[in-house]
Amino acid sequence: GLFNIFRSVFFRSLLALLSVSIIVCTARRWRGIWNATFHTRVRMNEGFLVRAKFHAQWSQTAAVSDTAAQVRSALARAHYHVRTEVNADSVALFAEKNRFSRFGTFLSHLGLVLILAGAVAGGLWGFSDSQFVVAEGSTRDLGLGTNIAVRVDRSIDEYYADGRAKDLRSDLTIFADGKPVKRGTVLVNSPLRYDGIAFHESFYGQAFVIKVQDADGKLLYREGVPLAQRTNDGERPLGKFDLPDSGLAVYITGPIMGAPDSLIHAGQVRIDIYEDYIRAARPQNLSQGVPAQINGLVFTFEREGRFTGLNVVKDPGTTVIWFAGGFMILGMVMLFYLPPKRLWGLCTEHPDGTVQVTLGMPAQRSVSLGGEFAKLSERVSTSLGTRPTLDQDQGGNNEQPVL
Amino acid sequence: MNSLSYDVFLAALATLSLAFLLQLVAAMGGRSRLAFAGAAASGGTATLQADGGTNSSRRNASILAVNGFIFLSVALVLRAFASGHGPFTSMFEFSLAFAWGVLALLLFFERRYRFETLAIIVLPVAIGLLAYAATIPSGAEPLVPALQNQFLLTVHVAVAIIAYGAFTVAFAAAVLYLVQRHDSVGWLPRSEVLDEVAYRSVLVGFPLLALTILLGAIWAEIAWGTYWSWDPKETASLATWLIYGGYLHARVVREWRGQRSAYFLIGGFAATLFTYYGNLFFGGLHGYA
Ligand code: HEM
Repeated sequence: GLFNIFRSVFFRSLLALLSVSIIVCTARRWRGIWNATFHTRVRMNEGFLVRAKFHAQWSQTAAVSDTAAQVRSALARAHYHVRTEVNADSVALFAEKNRFSRFGTFLSHLGLVLILAGAVAGGLWGFSDSQFVVAEGSTRDLGLGTNIAVRVDRSIDEYYADGRAKDLRSDLTIFADGKPVKRGTVLVNSPLRYDGIAFHESFYGQAFVIKVQDADGKLLYREGVPLAQRTNDGERPLGKFDLPDSGLAVYITGPIMGAPDSLIHAGQVRIDIYEDYIRAARPQNLSQGVPAQINGLVFTFEREGRFTGLNVVKDPGTTVIWFAGGFMILGMVMLFYLPPKRLWGLCTEHPDGTVQVTLGMPAQRSVSLGGEFAKLSERVSTSLGTRPTLDQDQGGNNEQPVL
Repeated sequence: MNSLSYDVFLAALATLSLAFLLQLVAAMGGRSRLAFAGAAASGGTATLQADGGTNSSRRNASILAVNGFIFLSVALVLRAFASGHGPFTSMFEFSLAFAWGVLALLLFFERRYRFETLAIIVLPVAIGLLAYAATIPSGAEPLVPALQNQFLLTVHVAVAIIAYGAFTVAFAAAVLYLVQRHDSVGWLPRSEVLDEVAYRSVLVGFPLLALTILLGAIWAEIAWGTYWSWDPKETASLATWLIYGGYLHARVVREWRGQRSAYFLIGGFAATLFTYYGNLFFGGLHGYA
């Protein structure tokens, strides 16, 4: 249907193109961000400071170094990381907060690309079988290139009083090379995991335990046969097993569930035997516990049981995807909630013995800093014990509080 | 306890409707008072009065909205106690929870920006959700097996409704932006503020929608073994997320502001509603709600 487009070559090429463009775009910005983080100039001239969107000036009579120390500690108390550069008659300051948040962009985009990479990895190195049915009491090889087998020790379903399914539950034993290696219970929201393979409880149904003997009474087969399919008319549950030694395929049909069935009565199963796709005997109904001879073999329908339908998945991409999703969200939190903030300052000694302090905070794209600068300016005023002689917001729209 | 919860829910609906009416009255009052002020200026005789009436109906509207929010919270808590799980498992419960998220974010942004008139768009959305809920069956149903993961169920949906609430606020700010484009409406904040509120609310919603999708994927992996199945609701939420991602990138990379951004956000909100209610049209793995 409509949603198959997402599995198409076209769509996958689109995702590949997207990854490439994200990688190229972020790579182009890497240098700039690296430099902004690690190679910032400490000394800016006064012209730069008073042209900054937010700036303020103070004047006081004191030594330059003392004044600079006061400004520095005021900014440090606001959790800014401050660097200074001392000249003959001035001290330059550079204060910064959340500087590593710039890398949030990379983290987000890296996360995104890794999610796509994880999906590809799952496709390349994973496998899944969403219809892996095992009758209660039986063991079945997983196949798919593994040495794993699964036994369903118990299979039960729980219901609410109104008859709706509450939960499905199966006790499993996992075998590797024929040795039991893991045992546990699976529920719909609680899979069993072994060696990167997850076993998910998925569905259940009837299984009929069938015994087959040859004419001498030798046991050829005795297993629960899951009736996990349906007959062509969709009415009756259908299952199948093979008898390799005699080259036969045996189909088991159960009666219609929850309605009278004139062909197969309740408590009966119908046996239909094929050899090389050709029907080998007339189909025959078996009643529970009554042996019947068909095609020279003795078939017994021993009892009714259940099967568990598992979704067996190996997807080495999922762990990558969880981490990648975490990176993406972490990157966003850094960018949106802890954006980098920085300002420069200059403490200059004038010939008349006063020291002039100028702070300037250029506005950054998409970050509102007006409230932040007002707070810092207040702190500096308190620290210096004097009001600013100039305190200016060069107009604009940034008086909104910062989230 | 469920019928009590239902009564409280109806009280919330009534209270919020009243709050909206008061908002409307205040907005109309604001307009006519402006006209009156204009007449006074030209006539030169009447003195300009502080529009105390308008402000007080706006304040009352705001108080009523808080009450409605409290009623709705109580209704949800009662329901959760009655059923033993978070109120997130039927269309009725979803609609109430969505409305709750919308109101929570409205109250947050309204206070943060001293912007009570935001409610004039947001309240009708919340009222619409609740009115819709009033028309559908409200029975509390037991959890189907796939939903029986209390922790993930609660966090996944709780995060989602906050995200959707934030997108509703962004939508409201965008609509009001279009009204206030030329800064000509007295009872609204300046257009830049509206643009800013919209942006801020997307900054809340966007990461939370990402988290919703991630939690959903984790849950799907646990319950079904596949973290992503292109189920209609998954696909719709991804598309919604990409729309808001487009909005943010246009703003940061291309310096988009104002009108174009506002249309973006209105489209994003349409996608949000579709994501929330899309399963009504599509079915899919989220078919139960
Ligand atoms: C996960 C959340 C995301 C965040 C927080 C995010 C953030 C950003 C930021 C901040 C920039 C600008 C970089 C700068 O100016 O230094 C940017 C650029 C870009 N983003 Fe994202 N982004 C996100 C997801 C995405 C997604 C989903 C896509 C693709 C669908 C994408 C594709 C791009 C591209 C192609 C650019 C480069 C644009 C250019 O350089 O002109 N990003 N992103």
